[in-house]
Amino acid sequence: MRQVPRARAEFIAGARAFAPLSMSIIPFGVVCGAAASSAGMTPLQASAMSWVIFAGSAQIAATQLFASGAPLLVIVATAAIVNLRFLMYASSLATHFRTQNRRWQALIAYLLTDQAFGLCIVHATQHPDRQPDLRWFYLGVAGATWMCWQVATIAGILLGSLVPASWSLDFIVPLTFIAMVVPLLGDRAMRLAAATGGLASVLLVMPLKLNLIAAALIGVAAGVAADRLWART
Amino acid sequence: MSSVSGEAAGELFVWSMICAIGVATFVIRFAPLALLARLELPTWLTRALRYVPPAVMAAIIAPPLFFADGTPTIEPDLARIAAATLAALVAWRTRSTLWTVVLGMLALWGLQALSG
Repeated sequence: MRQVPRARAEFIAGARAFAPLSMSIIPFGVVCGAAASSAGMTPLQASAMSWVIFAGSAQIAATQLFASGAPLLVIVATAAIVNLRFLMYASSLATHFRTQNRRWQALIAYLLTDQAFGLCIVHATQHPDRQPDLRWFYLGVAGATWMCWQVATIAGILLGSLVPASWSLDFIVPLTFIAMVVPLLGDRAMRLAAATGGLASVLLVMPLKLNLIAAALIGVAAGVAADRLWART
Repeated sequence: MSSVSGEAAGELFVWSMICAIGVATFVIRFAPLALLARLELPTWLTRALRYVPPAVMAAIIAPPLFFADGTPTIEPDLARIAAATLAALVAWRTRSTLWTVVLGMLALWGLQALSG
């Protein structure tokens, strides 16, 4: 019984840690919902994107490909590649959560986001003593992120059709991605991966809307190559 | 084909898309948690995964700056490119999504108003 108040305190600490990040999640979610609904999805489908998939970047990429008439397999493969970073996050979190039962692991996996991963790792490093209750902190962050995302996308679905296209609000999508990518560009190899990926996505002419997949793979290859080359010199 | 069955086919397409991406995403998130107690990701894969976010995000950002909707010819949208560049500088200095979005949108509206 002694465990319960600590679990609750960790849960609340997690939700609090997320609060400032809602300022970036809300506009992204609103745009995501508006984009899905203006791409021709029904309100139910547009909101299902958010609770079935629950991954903003993949939702945006899939929505754009859907709107441009890409084949199903290409859309699914592109979304999977956009989400490959979760392999990295989940394997890093596995060191903390490998003793949890399957149900907890499934919940942790479903709720995994950039925000939940980032805050959880920072918390685990700063408070190694609270490791036994780390799952509750994670649930606080991730649960708040989930709620925020659902409400924001529904708001986007409802409000999206009211905003005239001349406001260019679709530009919020690249802007939020710029805000996410710029802090990652700390070293040369990361900058090269971004520059190559961006350039390839513009210059490549691929059938079936395979541009994003091809550009991503070329960008990753450039980053890895630079990493190996520069590590030796 | 009647429009009703066309709509139904469209519905089926969207639901298949949502479910397939949902399953793929869950597997990607769940597999390392469930399996890594026994096996570890190979080093080359961990190293490669580090470069996925910058490569993917740049590839999502760039095309709308250079293509008018759906056309295969490169047609730089100067207002958007300038606003995106300014937003990147803001993101670098402030590390704030909110400021990046607000100043980026204001810049775009300003430039669009100037160019008529």
